[in-house]
Order: sequence, then structure tokens, then C-alpha cells
Amino acid sequence: MALAALKPLVRRHAEIGIFLIAALLVLWFSASSDGRWANFYNLASVLQVTATLGLMSLGVALVIGTGEIDISVGSTFGMGALVYLWLALRVDPALAMLAAVAVGAAIGAFNGLLITRTGTPSLIITLGSLMIFRGIAIALTEGFSFSIPYGDRSGATYWALGGGDLLGINTALVWLVVILVVLTVTLKMTPFGNRLLAVGGSASSAHSRGVRVDRIKLAAFVLSGVLAAFSGTLEAGKLGFADGSMGRLMELQAIASCVLGGCLLAGGRISLIGALVGAFVLSSIQSYLVVMGVKPQWFMLLLGIIVVAAAYGDRRLRNWSVTR
Amino acid sequence: MPDKTPLIQVKNLDLYFGAFHALKNVSVDFHSGELVGLVGDNGAGKTTLIRVLCGIHKPTSGEVWFDGRQVKEFHPKLAIDNGIETIQQSVGLCDNLSIARNFYLGREPVRRIMGIPFLDMGKMRDLSTKVIREFGLRDNVSADDEVERLSGGERQSVKIGRAVEFKNRVVIMDEPTNHLSVREREHVNELALQLKEQGLLVIYITHDIFQVHKLANRIVIMENGEKIEDALTSSMTADQLEEVIRQGGRKVEKREAV
Ligand SMILES: Nc1ncnc2c1ncn2[C@@H]1O[C@H](COP(=O)(O)OP(=O)(O)OP(=O)(O)O)[C@@H](O)[C@H]1O
Ligand SMILES: [Mg+2]
Repeated sequence: MALAALKPLVRRHAEIGIFLIAALLVLWFSASSDGRWANFYNLASVLQVTATLGLMSLGVALVIGTGEIDISVGSTFGMGALVYLWLALRVDPALAMLAAVAVGAAIGAFNGLLITRTGTPSLIITLGSLMIFRGIAIALTEGFSFSIPYGDRSGATYWALGGGDLLGINTALVWLVVILVVLTVTLKMTPFGNRLLAVGGSASSAHSRGVRVDRIKLAAFVLSGVLAAFSGTLEAGKLGFADGSMGRLMELQAIASCVLGGCLLAGGRISLIGALVGAFVLSSIQSYLVVMGVKPQWFMLLLGIIVVAAAYGDRRLRNWSVTR
Repeated sequence: MPDKTPLIQVKNLDLYFGAFHALKNVSVDFHSGELVGLVGDNGAGKTTLIRVLCGIHKPTSGEVWFDGRQVKEFHPKLAIDNGIETIQQSVGLCDNLSIARNFYLGREPVRRIMGIPFLDMGKMRDLSTKVIREFGLRDNVSADDEVERLSGGERQSVKIGRAVEFKNRVVIMDEPTNHLSVREREHVNELALQLKEQGLLVIYITHDIFQVHKLANRIVIMENGEKIEDALTSSMTADQLEEVIRQGGRKVEKREAV
């Protein structure tokens, strides 16, 4: 059978499942929405959502690669957005972005240090910081407005930081592509990437070979915080305003993107491109529900059902690939 | 040998895992050019002792001296930098990485492009391929294969090959012949002797009493976290050695009195 020849390919590349699912969904959505989904304007907006969710997912994927998990990224995203909006007009948008990224790095370091120094599971620590920084965001936005009037959002920096389009598509997508390439090269072709995956594969074996396991994990959490805050910056750059609930529940979507994209939660095996396609699938489904006029209260339910179905299909595909 | 200062000196070492007393006041010296057999029952503390030497465990109290300097910080990186290579009993390979990547884990060769260190995959592949062939891995296994698919013996050969390739001053072997076929066992034992001849310190843990009696010039016996015997191999027959281990610490005094 010609299909059997594909088995080794599927086995080696866990992300193939999500590519197939993405292709099928695109066909289905295009065919069934009478042009309301598959038009340039809508697809550009899907790509913008993919870019912000995708950047966050890349960071989460790196943490998953070390065998840990980071669910604080939704709040970090919100903090990044608020810091950027607060400083962009008062100081300078480029400096505001750097400050947002620094806050993200600090949240990541907070997570990483607590986890490696105390040996507490990352699920608990990052659940705590998810709530802590959400609380801070809500407190900060009470009585204050975090916004930049449209007229003040001119200039190349605003344009580059999610405030403008390139060929009709939000500039966030350019950031996504560049960062994807940089991180993929780092993961596959540098000692840091080798050690990161080793730590996720077997922390005790990596340790026995002289790898500084704690430093690798800390670096992954810092990168995750940086990417989430940067993603929040780009979203704030597009919207021009933010409230305390910005990025709520996005952490769950980011984790779902990673898992759909072939990242093994046990660690050691991740696909960055897969996580991105996972983010694309999630944003596509959301936009499909919108254009089909599904009432927002059904979103979560339908999204959840589709995620479960996709995960199941992916599992079937992988099981098939290891049969003879 | 006793006239030289020891390469590794362990003084009054105690180690607790929580409330469990795994090493009890262990003192032992190791010299360059020695092949020391470390034997004793399951759970006696052999692996725990060598894991202190290679930096995995930090002792609760006591001192470790390496080459005349006291070891202050315990981390495998520092032990490896000191020239201590270890074939570990149950760790050492990451299943999710290729043989080549495992081989160089923690000491990856790099080529810098604009200052950025990139893995020198060519070098990693070539050397690890050469070594796994020397150690009897067949052509159906390539250095790019993930360790996950290797058999028990193949994994052991990768670990041994790696330690021998990077040998420097000390090679610690924790039950190195596990999973190996007769021919590979002989190969490993020959290598252990060669390393000793080259002036390295070899610490060899095994349950094969008769084998270690042939190989080692000194035998250290552990029992329940304690060192109960430390003697030149020439001072006892293999049968006596087996008897001491079988009886545990209780009969040592008596045997020496006879
Ligand atoms: N990380 C750990 N935490 C708790 N207990 C441990 C740990 N490592 C070892 N032990 C305990 O310490 C004791 C000594 O173990 P060790 O591995 O040193 O024995 P060993 O002499 O190497 O035995 P074997 O011949 O079976 O390999 C055992 O009782 C073991 O259960
Ligand atoms: Mg042992």
C-alpha cells in the first residue's frame, strides 16, 4: 500500500497529525461557509490571532520540552500588554516593549527559580503566578484606562509592534516567523537546545553528564515569560487598549496548541512548528464559529469538542504509524 | 602505591537519603594506576559511594579530596572537568536523543558562526559512529538513531564506549558488564586492565566475584553502607572473598583472626 510508506514519516514527525487536521479543517471551513471564512480579510485576522497565540505557544512548548509546564502565560500576556500601553505614550514605544519583555522575563525567572530551588511542581507554582499576576493586572486597571488613542499610534515602531499591516497582514506574523526560525535553529542546532531536550528526556541522565539542569529549566521559563509578554505587547499594539482580563484562558489554548502540535507533556519531544499549526487550528475554529453566527456562549463548548476530536484523531494516526 | 598521595581520598563520609543512612562513616583512598574492585550485597551502598565521587550526590558530612584539593561543590560537571568519567548503573542516556547527541551531551563540540555556537554535528556523528562500531554495534544501528530503540546491551556499549573515549584520569564502572554478551564482557574487562596499565584509576563495581578477583589489584567490600574490608587482592583467594561477602561484616574479624 502506498499509505504504508508514510508510516515512518508519521512516526518521526509527531506534528504531521496537526498538519493533516489543519488541511482538513481549512477545506471544510472553506467549503461550508460560502466565502465568509475563506476570504482575505478573515484569513488575515485568523493569522493575527495565530501570531499572538503562536508566540505564546512557542514559549510554552520550550517549557514542555524540559518536562515542566507553564500555565502562567495568560497573565504574563496581560502584564506585557499593560506595561506596553502604560509606557508607550509616556516614554517611547520601543522602550515600552523592552520594559514589557523585561517584566515577562522577571515573571519567568520568578517561576523558574521557585520551581528549581524548592522542587515544587511547576503546575502548582505557575498556577499560583497565573492568579497573582492576574490579580495585579485587575488591580492596576481599576480606575485607570490603559489605552493609546488611534491618532497617537503613528510611526514605524507602532507599526512594527502589531499596530500595522504588511501586505495586508498584521506585522505580528512577521515576528512569529522570525522567532520560529530562531528558536527552531536554537533547539536543533545548538548545545543549549541539545541540553534542553536532554533535560526533558531524562533530567537525571542529563545531570549525570554534567548538564546544569536547573539553569536550563530557568532559561526555558524566562523564554516563556518573554514570549508571552511580547505577544501581549503585539496584541496591545493592535488593539490600542487593554483591561485586566486580557489574555484570560489563553494559557489553556497555548497548552492545547502544543499538545495538538505533537509536544509530549512528559517532556523531551516537542515540535515548534507543530505548536504553531496547533495555534492556527484553534484560531481557525474560533473564527469559523464567529462567521457562522454561532452564539459566543457556545464557543468554549464547541472548541473543546473539536480539540478532543482532533486529539483523538491524532492519537489514532500515531498508533496507526507504529503498526506493521 | 601507598607511598604516593591518593588521587581520591574519602574521609568519614556519611550520606542520608532523608532518614535512611546510606553511607556510614566511609573512608577510603584510591590511587592512580589502581584497579579497585568495589563489591558487596545489593543495596550495600556501592552506587551511592561512587555517585558522590562523580558529583551526583552531595555527602551529608565528611570530606572528599581530589588530587590534593578538597572538593567543595558537588556537581557532575565539576567531576567530569576533573577527569572523572563514569559508566552509571541506571542513568546516563536520554532516550529521546540520538546516539551522537547523547555521546557529547554536556560537552558538545561547536563551530562558531558570528559568535553563535552551533553543534558540530559532523564531528559528533563521525566519532560516535567510530566508537559504537568498535564496541560491536552492528550496521543497522546508526549514530543518528534515538537511544530509545537500542537493546540493553547496545545501550551499555554506548555508555562504555563514551567513557573510554573521553577517559582522562579516572574511569568508574558501575556493573559495566550488565546486559553484555560473553564476548563483550571480555572486551570490557580487557579495557579496564588497559586503562589501569595506562596509569588511570579504575573503580570497578560488580557482583562477579571471581572476575573481579582476577582483574582488580585491590578489593573494597561494602555492607549496609559501611566499608567492611579493604585489602590487596593478593591477600585472599576468590573463595575467601566470596565468603566474606556472603557472611557480611559479622565474620570479618573472625576470619582475620584465623
Ligand atoms: N536517591 C535515593 N533515595 C533514597 N534511597 C536511595 C537512593 N539511592 C539509593 N538509595 C538506597 O540506598 C541504598 C544503597 O543503594 P545503592 O544503589 O548504593 O546500592 P548498591 O550497593 O549499588 O546495590 P546494587 O548492587 O543493587 O546496585 C539502597 O537501600 C537504596 O534503596
Ligand atoms: Mg549499584
